Amino acid sequence: MAEQVAGHFESLPRQAHAARLGMWIFLGTEVLLFAGLFVLYAAYRTEHPHGFAVGVENNTVVWGSVNTGVLLVSSYTIALAVHELRRGKQRACALLVATTIFLGMCFLAIKTGEYLEHFRVGLYPGGVGTFYRDHGEAGTKMFFTLYFCMTGLHAIHVVVGTAVLAFLLTKVLRRQISERAPHPLAIGAIYWHLVDVIWIFLWPLFYLIPGGNP
Amino acid sequence: MSEATQTRETSARGLALTLLALLVLAGFSLTMRFVHIGAASYFVGLGVAAIKAALVVVFFMEILVEKVTVRLAFAVCLSLFALLIALVLADVLTRSVPPLQNPPGSAQRYRG
Repeated sequence: MAEQVAGHFESLPRQAHAARLGMWIFLGTEVLLFAGLFVLYAAYRTEHPHGFAVGVENNTVVWGSVNTGVLLVSSYTIALAVHELRRGKQRACALLVATTIFLGMCFLAIKTGEYLEHFRVGLYPGGVGTFYRDHGEAGTKMFFTLYFCMTGLHAIHVVVGTAVLAFLLTKVLRRQISERAPHPLAIGAIYWHLVDVIWIFLWPLFYLIPGGNP
Repeated sequence: MSEATQTRETSARGLALTLLALLVLAGFSLTMRFVHIGAASYFVGLGVAAIKAALVVVFFMEILVEKVTVRLAFAVCLSLFALLIALVLADVLTRSVPPLQNPPGSAQRYRG
């Protein structure tokens, strides 16, 4: 059954617009949540450029980069899913949403593997572990503390995004979301894209920029 | 009229080209990881990230086809984020006195 217009909306397009506006405002709060952590990163990196460079040099750049590819492709698949739904291709849409969910789970599996690799070399959250015996530069502990906080918070968002997409997939399969009103899937997709955008900035900050004094 | 007919969304070809651009830019970022350019790596790394984020927001999230209220919400959010980063950087980059090694209230102070 397709979505009905709620009594306090005069039309379906207006209801869809209200839903999208609500999601964008929510995303604004999410961005500002991460903004505090980005600010901490900027302030501490300015104080300890060498310690942060050591952190970047010792991070798992291969797995971080693979995860970047996974998230970029997942953003494409969910955008294409919305595109197909708007054209009434319900089956293709469902397949693409399922692919996106699979890619989200791949991201989480790789991230888990990365954390386990960190633990194996004695690198734990909170500046604890044998890793720091050989890497005692000021700022390296703060680098990895921020790394675990920010990538952990991001991973929680990936879990939530995956759950939301799984919920939407069931609605697509039951034709409760269709080309007549595709906005529930579209706003779910927007949330997933935000998760991608945040990772787009986390990747260079924690894996790619060895830096030097700014 | 269906909702779909009212929007000028990105075409399937546009979506594919956006993904291609994102992957090429990601490859460029990764390559630059192994080229030692000192402080310029901040600008290259974050500049490429900003371009990739813009591609996602414009072509995948379709911000440009949203109504003005949505674009306004996005602009306010972006402005607040930029203001927060700019003011903090303006502070930490212009400090002439280094931070205390053993500030009051730190655990180290009580070790004797």
